Amino acid sequence: MEFIGCVDVTMKYGDVAANRNVNLSVAQNEIRAIVGENGAGKTTLMNVLYGLLSPTEGHVKVGGRRVDFTSPADAISAGLGMVHQHFKLVPTLKVFENVLLGAEMLRSVSVMGRKLTLPFLDLNSARERVSRLIRHFGFNLDANALVRDISVGAKQKVEILKMLYRDVSLLIFDEPTAVLTPQEIDEFFDSLRHLKDQGKTIVLITHKLKEVMDISDSVTVMKQGRVIRNLDTRDTDEKEIAQLMVGRDVLFSVQSDHRVESSDEVVYEVKNLSTENDAGRNVVDDVSLVIRKGEILGVAGVEGNGQSELVSVVTGLMNAASGSIFLNGRDVTNLWPKDLRDRRMGIIPEERYVHGLCADMTLSRNCIAGYHNRSAFCRRGLLKQQAVRMWKERLVEKYDIRVSGGEVDVSSLSGGNAQKTIIARELESDPDILIAAQPTRGVDIGAVEFIHSAILDLHKKRKAVLLVSSDLSEILNLSDRIVVMYKGGIIGEVSAADTTVEKLGLLMAGLRNG
Amino acid sequence: MVKKTPRNITPALSSVINAFVPVLAAFGIGAVVIALAGKNPLETYWILFRQSLFSFQGLMKTLHYASPLLLTGFAIAVTFKAGVFNMGVEGQLLVGGFAAAICGTAFSSLPAPILIVLCLTAGVVCGMAAAILPALLRAFYNVNELVVTLLLNYAVFIFLEYLTSGPFRDAGAAHVSTHMVPDGAIFSRFGSSRITLFSILVAAVFGVMYILFNRSKLGYEIEAIGKNPNFAEAAGMNVRRKIIVIMTISGALSGFAGAGWLLSEKYVYTLTFSDGVGLGWDGMLIALLGVNNPVGILVSAMFYATLKVGVQYVSVFTEVPSEIVGLIQAMIVLFLSLKVIRSRQSPLYKKLDRLLCRRGSRNPS
Repeated sequence: MEFIGCVDVTMKYGDVAANRNVNLSVAQNEIRAIVGENGAGKTTLMNVLYGLLSPTEGHVKVGGRRVDFTSPADAISAGLGMVHQHFKLVPTLKVFENVLLGAEMLRSVSVMGRKLTLPFLDLNSARERVSRLIRHFGFNLDANALVRDISVGAKQKVEILKMLYRDVSLLIFDEPTAVLTPQEIDEFFDSLRHLKDQGKTIVLITHKLKEVMDISDSVTVMKQGRVIRNLDTRDTDEKEIAQLMVGRDVLFSVQSDHRVESSDEVVYEVKNLSTENDAGRNVVDDVSLVIRKGEILGVAGVEGNGQSELVSVVTGLMNAASGSIFLNGRDVTNLWPKDLRDRRMGIIPEERYVHGLCADMTLSRNCIAGYHNRSAFCRRGLLKQQAVRMWKERLVEKYDIRVSGGEVDVSSLSGGNAQKTIIARELESDPDILIAAQPTRGVDIGAVEFIHSAILDLHKKRKAVLLVSSDLSEILNLSDRIVVMYKGGIIGEVSAADTTVEKLGLLMAGLRNG
Repeated sequence: MVKKTPRNITPALSSVINAFVPVLAAFGIGAVVIALAGKNPLETYWILFRQSLFSFQGLMKTLHYASPLLLTGFAIAVTFKAGVFNMGVEGQLLVGGFAAAICGTAFSSLPAPILIVLCLTAGVVCGMAAAILPALLRAFYNVNELVVTLLLNYAVFIFLEYLTSGPFRDAGAAHVSTHMVPDGAIFSRFGSSRITLFSILVAAVFGVMYILFNRSKLGYEIEAIGKNPNFAEAAGMNVRRKIIVIMTISGALSGFAGAGWLLSEKYVYTLTFSDGVGLGWDGMLIALLGVNNPVGILVSAMFYATLKVGVQYVSVFTEVPSEIVGLIQAMIVLFLSLKVIRSRQSPLYKKLDRLLCRRGSRNPS
């Protein structure tokens, strides 16, 4: 029986249709995976289902009846809940307090047989109810713990609880595993199966095809705003889904014989680097790294263990409190980004639209960012318009950046193409060391493949690469050596050739001798 | 069949709409008020524009009035575009005017061209000096430049009032004023028209600013800092230093406006030197109306000067009081703050988009 569906939903932003005539039907009590490249319209569709957007054409059905949600509150009262990729929790509140935010229970008294609601919180019953939910769904969670003290996986459970507390029967997950360790992912999948056993329906948006195969009952593949195919998971495999998503064969691993003879010549060295954040916490703690010529060093770790701050320090956005950094034998500690680039460092920042690109500026202007002082683009304070445009065209062609017109703003590019713009800009300047932070986060499979081979091409030219990523398969596929960060420090180093996801997972969880 | 190319409401078009709607609305309300006063609004508006734009003398006068406004408009726009807020353009303009007046009387023996250059330079330098203090405070101590520049206006005005009514007062004048600058320091009019060399210089400044905004590295950096300071920093721009440079340029333009206005129109510094609401404040409206775009600023400065000039004729030819222009200006300010097209998501945007555009399917990926 259909629980939720949509009929001929079209969602347009100006000229651009993010969804075109989408028909979707999710049966009661199934786990449905929705896959597609970035810009395929998955998130837009979910926002339509959840009442965050009202469709240009078409409508949403719940239980066979047409509904017109104007806000998420409508969707929740119709039994739909969404767990966002980025958690919306208050760290200083307890688990159960976070769960009841926005749906607080009030105390009531009986006065002469009538129930009277008082404007006071009934925390005891609320805690009781949340604890009951935790037991019922078999979550391993303490209702009284402070949210800031619990792990990322546990935070996700709090998000799920928020929805269950509101008594929804359908849960939509947007990229739920992006921030979890492999062990946490297993636990998360157990939770999903448990939820299903309890009669819930689940819609899962994801990039990771392995997860689709592991957990889902059926798959919907989206491409360019349309639903391409609905499949039963048991009748298909990763390869077929990937082909449908991208429209061609995909190389799953670009790994094969990319190893380059690395020499002993050290290109980049970080010595005992430490730094504090604004709150005075030691976020990078005595980190030392060495990268040799022709080597890719992967930095793995659960997000929030100092990788971002490490990247900020080595790319000149944050000052080191102590320690030093050497590039080609010269001290480059605490240099500005411009000086680092002048000393042949390429920088792919973690936050694409914060540090990497200016979304409201044209593509050409983004293509020279960081290099705009160079004589190739600038003479006597004036930009060489022609040279800048030709540079952009060269990058667009060589890196297959798909643009809809001549001079467009970067905001009109899909995530993958925006990321390719950064990659193109930083690699075309021929760096000796590339700092690549989360180079493929939120990017579609086609672009991932492209970006990986671009990094490997650089590797073949015997350049050094520092790869920071929370995507373990990326780290394993590309790196020669891997270090794992835990609580600001480096907890272990392994060679990529003889390690496993499980070993890394244990290190990521802080277990040195696992 | 003619194939229609797909069009869309571009950012440029939506800012033009955003600028025009407040103007039209203001004129609409002005018309109602004129009609209520028993006069013919269309006739009034026709006189306003005929006299200020479609007669040679009027047009020259409009260009003359537009000159300082264009400069103050740019002075504001250059900072707004970088996300910095120099609210002190008015004060910097007064300083520039005063400096030119003092310089003109102090060095009256110098030959004309040198004296003019000296007066203008004095105005520019003093304008810059007035802007650099808030800039340094902002860059090094993160003191909000909006508050500092705004409040500094009053300090500047009072200080100049003291200087004008005390040490530098022309005792022979009926009002509080400085001595009149000598003939050698005055921009003489071209023939019988109202226009002077000052307007030509402003046209040159416009050319420079056009290139600065659209073609230069500094313009690129201003855009990046204004749109995404984090990105600008990551791309290696020294945001702190750029803020100082930008504020200095703004102060220079304001000072130049003040000095030029003194040498081409006022000849003395009085307490009502910057007439009406003030040329600096007008500049803010012009920058907003022109959405920080050089051509937009040119058009709105001209429009503003048109109102200023036209209204003088309105009160001559009709019985409509000249306050009507003040009303229209005030209405524009009010309506400007209400952006018609706020974003691509707004209902009006969608409606206009549907109305104006033939949809061609464009592939976004």
